[in-house]
Amino acid sequence: MAEHTKIIAVTRFDPERDDAPRSQEYEVPVQEDWKVLEALNYIKDHLDPTLSHRWSCRMAVCGSCGMNVNGEPKLTCREPLSNYGERVEVAPLANFPVVRDLVVELEGFLEKLGALKPWIMLAKQRAPEEGATRQSPAELADFKQFSMCINCMLCYAACPVVANEPDFLGPAALATAHRYNLDSRDEGAAQRAEIMRGEGGVFSCSYANECAEVCPKNVDPAGAIQQAKLANVLSWARSFVVRRRAAS
Amino acid sequence: MDSVLHYDIVIVGGGAAGLRAAIAVAEADPQLRVALVSKVYPMRSHTVSAEGGAAAVARADDSLEAHAYDTVKGSDFLGDQPVIQYFVERAPEELVRLEHWGCPWSRNDDGTVATRAFGGMTTKRTWFATDKVGFHILHTLFQTSLRYERIERLDEHFVTKLLVQDGRCGGVAALDIRSGETRAVLGRAVILATGGGGRAWPFTTNGAIKTGDGMALAYRAGLALKDMEFVQYHPTGLPGTGILITEAARGEGGHLKNAEGERFLITRDYGVGQKAELGPRDMISRAITQEIAAGRGVSLPGKTGEFAHLDLRHLGAAKIDSRLPFVRELARTYIGVDPVHEPIPVRPVLHYMMGGVDTDIDGATQIAGLYAAGETACVSLNGANRLGSNSLTECLVFGARSGAHSAAHVREADAPPEAALVESARAAEAELEALRGRQGGGETVAQLRDAMTRAMEEGTGVYREQAGMRRAAAQIAELGGRFAQLRLQDGSRVFNTEITAALELRNLLDVAAAVTVAAAERRESRGAHACSDYPERNDGEYLHHSLVRLGDSGPVFDKKPVELGIWEPEERKY
Amino acid sequence: MAPPRPPDRFPAGPRYRSYLLFGMGSALMLPLGFELLCALWALASGDAAWREFQAGLRHPLRIAGHAVAGVWLTWVALRFFRLFPKTQPFRLGPFRRPPDWLLVGGLYGVFAAASLALGLWLAGRIGGLG
Ligand SMILES: Cc1cc2nc3c(=O)[nH]c(=O)nc-3n(C[C@H](O)[C@H](O)[C@H](O)COP(=O)(O)OP(=O)(O)OC[C@H]3O[C@@H](n4cnc5c(N)ncnc54)[C@H](O)[C@@H]3O)c2cc1C
Ligand code: SF4
Ligand code: FES
Repeated sequence: MAEHTKIIAVTRFDPERDDAPRSQEYEVPVQEDWKVLEALNYIKDHLDPTLSHRWSCRMAVCGSCGMNVNGEPKLTCREPLSNYGERVEVAPLANFPVVRDLVVELEGFLEKLGALKPWIMLAKQRAPEEGATRQSPAELADFKQFSMCINCMLCYAACPVVANEPDFLGPAALATAHRYNLDSRDEGAAQRAEIMRGEGGVFSCSYANECAEVCPKNVDPAGAIQQAKLANVLSWARSFVVRRRAAS
Repeated sequence: MDSVLHYDIVIVGGGAAGLRAAIAVAEADPQLRVALVSKVYPMRSHTVSAEGGAAAVARADDSLEAHAYDTVKGSDFLGDQPVIQYFVERAPEELVRLEHWGCPWSRNDDGTVATRAFGGMTTKRTWFATDKVGFHILHTLFQTSLRYERIERLDEHFVTKLLVQDGRCGGVAALDIRSGETRAVLGRAVILATGGGGRAWPFTTNGAIKTGDGMALAYRAGLALKDMEFVQYHPTGLPGTGILITEAARGEGGHLKNAEGERFLITRDYGVGQKAELGPRDMISRAITQEIAAGRGVSLPGKTGEFAHLDLRHLGAAKIDSRLPFVRELARTYIGVDPVHEPIPVRPVLHYMMGGVDTDIDGATQIAGLYAAGETACVSLNGANRLGSNSLTECLVFGARSGAHSAAHVREADAPPEAALVESARAAEAELEALRGRQGGGETVAQLRDAMTRAMEEGTGVYREQAGMRRAAAQIAELGGRFAQLRLQDGSRVFNTEITAALELRNLLDVAAAVTVAAAERRESRGAHACSDYPERNDGEYLHHSLVRLGDSGPVFDKKPVELGIWEPEERKY
Repeated sequence: MAPPRPPDRFPAGPRYRSYLLFGMGSALMLPLGFELLCALWALASGDAAWREFQAGLRHPLRIAGHAVAGVWLTWVALRFFRLFPKTQPFRLGPFRRPPDWLLVGGLYGVFAAASLALGLWLAGRIGGLG
């Protein structure tokens, strides 16, 4: 396979040594069919073992390897190096605190996800003896797209609302909550409503649509959030009418 | 030691097995405090990559007995039949639970769960969620686990040692990767659910984190690793990367062809009979290897080695997109082939370890309070060859069982003396400190790792021979010695992935030692262990499990009888 | 830990241009809203005030401002049309969401029809005045 070299400019940051992130250049002999991740692994194995980055599956499903490549959030194990010129800049995802080099802090996201109760909630739990619930292919299609999120965080790195409002629950977490609300087997929408409508919830979203543009799994979190806005307005209106009726 | 943390039960691993065990503990006794320790965020665990499906009897025309027999036969009669019996009985319940927790299983028109055909299974009993089954199972389990407050996660914590005192396990020593702090994580029971170790080979479907850690931890604590010579080569890995094209591609009707466009599984006798592409993996991997050896392989510009073709074109775009969308995405992204228009080049690729930590049917090991489940354990479900789609279900069935049993265990057991455990954790910490940025004169992690994977590929491929296995065993022993001279350059405590890579390499070397030693001791061909110099199965001498323990001067070999039951060994023909 | 860095080339990069244009539109909405209030106030204050207000509209700066607002509003409308379909639920009762092209086409149709009607009406008015 034809080989040539590219300059990979990597953002480095070791909190024990550096005051602020800096850029370091590596000259990497790359192969034509390489992904960006393969260049980083080459650096780690052959040029500089002190480079830290996360990766595992290298097949675009574990969600570990999101980084900003030439300023755009990308899944590096999926992003062909050949899309770029002779110099490629690799930086940690924007909008996240940086732990070291290309590794970002995800605790905030996990808290947001957990707060949205992403699990099936029922008034009465089903017992295994009852067997599998029926769900038609149409009911499955109601939420399937929003269940495809790999938590790669590219959407958070692209979102201008996240940049300005760190408490915004954000695209992936809200899409996941909406996925459960749409599932015919779930009855928890009312319990998720307060936080979804509240501070940092769906109404913080100004529909920039950037999350949908960068999502590598076609989840379309922007669509999920707008649908959730509509659903929340309708259910709020409905509860208002019901309350008025009950009062009279 | 930066901190000592106290729990009731410590679970190492956040894949399907670990998460299922954690939920089982929480359901058995909501008062128990569980630590879920994982070196990556749970949803990154390699369970995420499983594509094809999970097996459990679901259809009226199927039976538990048929599932059991298929599994016994697939295992080449090395599976323990009481374990298999229990497994097939519990399998449907486990998959139903996942359904109740929200797993988006694909559906039939009437709303029932759909099933597909899989290799070595006589009927459609593999449940699926398109071709991203592991991904959906893992995220469903992870999100469900979030509801239990008593499951406390220690994410990105690397377990370096089991803390064992007087034959009882009382916790683990762990390195917090993000801060570099070391912790003693104590509990009256520990469940190992750390997955397999496919990264000991160079060409594998396994992700970077599959480094056999749990097996090595148990091995160094004195436990036996069982049936380690049996490693599964999946017939259809993508050239170059080894990324898997799921067996479901054949389950949905895909064909394997050689360079002449011939469906060799039908035109020639490879023992799979009428099953053709739906034969068991060991046989099909051998068939492809033989086709290539006979000069009928497909070559690709710019790729070393030769391949077979997996042809899906006759399925049509609609079926491929509805049943195998991920296969299409993977083939396009990683080899530039659209399976709607072209056949996919594939070759056998190291995929799964049938062997692991020797456990009984409860997941219990020989150390009181220590359990193992999932790919890291060998409960003897899979014997000499695992059937595709049995292992995700195995993670659930035996993850749940070890969780329930550990919960019962801690009700009775008291903890080993804390001071001794912390002392043992200190020793692990000292080893770690000695490793960080150590300027040994020798090789880098990457160099030593390459030497190891080369030795493993040469010695323990699809076909093996005695001389090669012995050579590999000797090489691995020698490489193990070279680990002491490793040269490390990263002195930082924060997210030091050089040190975790070194720890993983040490674990892989232990796993590799057990594999090669066990392999060289089995002078027969059974399941995935195909010896060119001993091509027949030999029930008279080798119908037993192999055990490898760490002795004072290296690996020690031993054996253990197979538990038969209903079915006596017979010739394995399809 | 290093603090979060805003998205690269934020806010000027191409990625954010349309989002910012959209957001900055609120700066146009403010004077337009104020103008509307003035118009109402003028109407309420009698014929003279109203005529004076109308005269003010002929000022070239005001015309330019309205032209900009017109272009901007059209652009916002078109952006909204593109993004509209996926804001709708996948299914309403037994009905699946119509395909995107139909929804977007429908919006363009309504937009075109309304523009035409408005145009004709205005043409009639202007003609009538003349
Ligand atoms: C590509 C691919 C496709 C597959 N497809 C199928 C399929 O279709 N059907 C099927 O039945 N099976 C399939 N399998 C097999 C199956 O996916 C695995 O056997 C199973 O997922 C293993 O799950 P596990 O929970 O045992 O381990 P894993 O999912 O590998 O999880 C291991 C966990 O342990 C943690 N861990 C490991 N070491 C340490 C340490 N030192 N300290 C702390 N934590 C640690 C990791 O962080 C991780 O959370 C497939 C496997 C692969 C590779
Ligand atoms: S929604 Fe898309 S971009 Fe965001 S985390 Fe999920 S997969 Fe990644
Ligand atoms: S390495 Fe898993 S998504 Fe890229």
